[in-house]
Amino acid sequence: MMLEALTVDIGGHALVLSAARAAFDPVRQTLFIADAHIGKDAVFRARGIPVPEGSTGETLARLDMLISIHRPATIVFLGDLLHARESHALTTLGALAEWRERHAGLRLILVEGNHDRHAGGPPDALALEMVEAPYRFGPWALCHYPQRVTGAYALAGHEHPVYRVATRLDSARLPCFRFGADAGVLPAFGGFTGGFEVNESARGERIFVVAGDRVMAVRT
Amino acid sequence: MSTPADDDDMDNHQDTQPNSDAKRRAPRARRIPRTRAAQAKADAVAELFRPAPIVIDQDVANTPFDARLAAWFERHGWQPFPFQREVWTGILGAASGLLHATTGAGKTWAVWLGALAAYSDKLPSRSLPAPLTVLWITPMRALAADTARALQTAVTELAVPWSIGLRTGDTPSAERARQNKRMPSALVTTPESLTLMLTRANAEDEMKHVRLVVVDEWHELLGNKRGTQTQLALARLAHWRPDLQVWGLSATLGNLDLARDALLAPVKTPRVVVRGAQPKTLIVDTLIPDTIERFPWGGHLGTRQVKPVAAEIEHARSSLVFTNTRSQAEVWYQALLEARPDWAGLIALHHGSLDQEVRAWVELGLKSGQLKAVVCTSSLDLGVDFLPVDRVFQIGSPKGVARLMQRAGRSGHAPGRASRVTIVPTHALELVEAAAARWAVEERRIEGREMPNKPLDVLVQHLVTIAIGGGFKARQLFDEVRTTYAYRDLTQQEFDWALAFVERGGSSLAAYPDYHRVILDAEGVYRVPREDLVRRHRNNVGTIVANATINIAYMTGGRIGAMEESFVSRLKPGDVFTFGGRALELVRVREMTAYVKRATSSRGAMPQWAGSKMPLSSELADATLMMLARAMNGVYDEPEMQAVRPLLELQAKWSALPEPGVLLVELIRSREGHHLFCYPFAGRMAHVGLGSLIGWRVARDQPSTFSISMNDYGFELLSARPFDWETLIQDGLFSPDNLEHDILASLNSSELAARRFREIARVSGLIFQGHPGQQKSARQLQASSGLFYEVFRRHDSGNLLLAQAEEEVMLQELELDRIRAALKSMSGSRLALTRPKKPTPFAFPLIIARLREKVSTEKLSDRVARMLADLEKAARA
Repeated sequence: MMLEALTVDIGGHALVLSAARAAFDPVRQTLFIADAHIGKDAVFRARGIPVPEGSTGETLARLDMLISIHRPATIVFLGDLLHARESHALTTLGALAEWRERHAGLRLILVEGNHDRHAGGPPDALALEMVEAPYRFGPWALCHYPQRVTGAYALAGHEHPVYRVATRLDSARLPCFRFGADAGVLPAFGGFTGGFEVNESARGERIFVVAGDRVMAVRT
Repeated sequence: MSTPADDDDMDNHQDTQPNSDAKRRAPRARRIPRTRAAQAKADAVAELFRPAPIVIDQDVANTPFDARLAAWFERHGWQPFPFQREVWTGILGAASGLLHATTGAGKTWAVWLGALAAYSDKLPSRSLPAPLTVLWITPMRALAADTARALQTAVTELAVPWSIGLRTGDTPSAERARQNKRMPSALVTTPESLTLMLTRANAEDEMKHVRLVVVDEWHELLGNKRGTQTQLALARLAHWRPDLQVWGLSATLGNLDLARDALLAPVKTPRVVVRGAQPKTLIVDTLIPDTIERFPWGGHLGTRQVKPVAAEIEHARSSLVFTNTRSQAEVWYQALLEARPDWAGLIALHHGSLDQEVRAWVELGLKSGQLKAVVCTSSLDLGVDFLPVDRVFQIGSPKGVARLMQRAGRSGHAPGRASRVTIVPTHALELVEAAAARWAVEERRIEGREMPNKPLDVLVQHLVTIAIGGGFKARQLFDEVRTTYAYRDLTQQEFDWALAFVERGGSSLAAYPDYHRVILDAEGVYRVPREDLVRRHRNNVGTIVANATINIAYMTGGRIGAMEESFVSRLKPGDVFTFGGRALELVRVREMTAYVKRATSSRGAMPQWAGSKMPLSSELADATLMMLARAMNGVYDEPEMQAVRPLLELQAKWSALPEPGVLLVELIRSREGHHLFCYPFAGRMAHVGLGSLIGWRVARDQPSTFSISMNDYGFELLSARPFDWETLIQDGLFSPDNLEHDILASLNSSELAARRFREIARVSGLIFQGHPGQQKSARQLQASSGLFYEVFRRHDSGNLLLAQAEEEVMLQELELDRIRAALKSMSGSRLALTRPKKPTPFAFPLIIARLREKVSTEKLSDRVARMLADLEKAARA
């Protein structure tokens, strides 16, 4: 799949919004990933609900694709990297460790999210740097929960924002990026995640939706 | 070590307050009712049913039952009907059967007295009371208490040493615990509660004495998955006891043979069919409005007719006002109160989402004659007779002949009275339907019931139920399940798939690591070893029909009812909505309960309930087309047809009238785009399918998106660009060839299958309803059915539940057979293609319909790009 990306100006700084539901900071060569929820499928299975395997693999494959396109030096996860304790199932951890091995040179940073706390610490094999929110990174304040941070533009996750585009003829519910005056939220990256409609709450903010392989501006 | 909870507290289906752990529950504060209304409500609930202690006069008990029965009839001055004697003979002769008769004809006495005659004398009188001998299954909890009371009356007056029990989702846990210690001789229950009883580890011991199962209102269960659930439970009971007798009570149906076969398939005793008393005089008339609107509104709730209806209610003693949806009931209740403020307290509202206490209070008011009128939905279609009711109103289309007759039958139970139903059209075209309905009632063109064929989600649920309730061996259960009518042609492969699905997730082993719900033990018995899964399953069993619901309660305490989650989720705190006839303000939502307070403003959003749209039956649609054909020939001999005449003549002048043998297609250009209107008269559901199918066939070659709107008469396809419809139709656009393939393909381009998957995901236990007090960690198991649908499609596309979703959409939702029949008749009809300048009276309701489907073959990004461009254009305009 050819993926499009859209470069936008956020508070005077360039940010590349990818149709793979991630953002890239070209100046700092850093990829921002929110709410990957890796191993969510395994949690369901462990608790007696049959969910086929595959969404974790698909999520990691999309991450690979982003790495090959943008060649980042650093990836910052904006929380909820792992879904729950049962995400530490062997199959999931094996896939993660194997992925890490292929990208051994990458610096990985995790801003702790609510799910990460429940899941227990990430496995050592991932060689993750754990940081607390807000984590100052260039002009950004990286967080899990959407919030305002003085003196920086906050980028967060947690919300899984989706935006409903509708005309009389047609309508679609699409993952979106939302950017306010001093804080923005990224769409959930994980393949097995739902969404929360922000049409009401994001009034007056800039909205970019992910429609298949394209990113489109709804309001700029 | 924990066995499946003995203090089985999980009978909490649909809308009661569940408590998963009796020990943890805080003692309930005693509340003294503050108002008279609250006191009345409390009385109504107390009135529900209380098991009576057995006090037997030994002298009386020693006389033979026959003699007691004869004396009883004499004392009341009654005469048994011939059909009642026929049923008694059947039950005494160890037979099973189906008894069909109109409501209020004495069906209950027929089977109940037969059961007492057959079993109360034979039992050793030492062991008082008799063990669980009769199970009485009723589709509605509201009916259960009334039935239990009736059974109790007979038992007391006839000096039978039997105890009567009631077990539904409303039964308090103390009462359930008492039953668990010792089951009553006869138990009145619902399909869900019966299934829950099957999940008890000692289910076989508890139920092996059951000699007779009575399934009340079988016609209500037959056509849905609760009926399938009932069939499976009956197969279980018949497996334990080959001499089990089963008796079904049913209203008259078009396909009684199917009703009998579906009920009695697993039963090994001989069968009879008994025909009960036939309907008495039935009057169908119409409240014809003074002026006929030129443009019939769809979705418009026709409250213009409120004043005439109020005038009619005024003259009647007590009236039932039936609506087709719960929203419509709310609207009409409000409107009637506004028209007659002095009726506050004299009229009431009754629908399935209101709390049990409220409903019980309303029913009591109807029985005692204190209520002047009750606005209701199908929630009052069934049940005991309200003697004071002498008028029934049907707001809007009656939708079906059987349904109209059922509703009409709720009136006129006083001696010497006829049943009378008055149709209140909400738009002009319903006048035609009203005339057609009267004709169809006179001709007794009654619909049959279709039933689900081997639904795998119910089977999956049943496997877990039985694995919990004592476990099963695969071979035995396969044979047992196949004795039911619904699964008579279940293949070994399908069964194996369902078993694999609960055992390890699916047939492909690799796809579901670490997953086990049901486990095979060393003796070859499948069991559920984990207590958390047992609990979750029991919670789910009750939700087989309900959509995900959220309780509505006051901040100050006091539950009002339940509403669909999808509606509540669209509300923000501070929003006002109307529910139960009151304006309420949402304060907050916490753990499956929406807390509200009285709103200061009087009007708010009307709640929407899903699945409340019912299609016009083929029988009524055909009758409607026939009426239109008569109009075409200038015959307007019914009063309704005379009233609607100007409108039909306008339709004929601007375009043409739809009639049998002619397919009318109208093409209109508007600011919104290019419209095609087509009127096959196949019912709303089939029109959804026809619309998607036609749209998809066109869009297959030229990527495009259609918005589809539909009603019972026809459908509209709206597109951004024009098409050469005449050529497309000549080239076989309406051909019935490749129908299944094309429909399946069109499903993938629409959202229908994904939506249908909601119910399947719930029944098969993928998603479960949360309940108060559940552990927070359950939040990590939140995923929508849509998400499941996507994940299955992407990573396990062979999953049979997906196939089931598609099949259910095709057969039930879209009514494939009707689509096929419609396409045949469309391609065999003469095409009348018109290009009216303005929307015609038939097109207008379609154009303004808010509920729309879509079918698209365009890339998502292209669709979004076009939508954004349209929005941009609109913003600049």
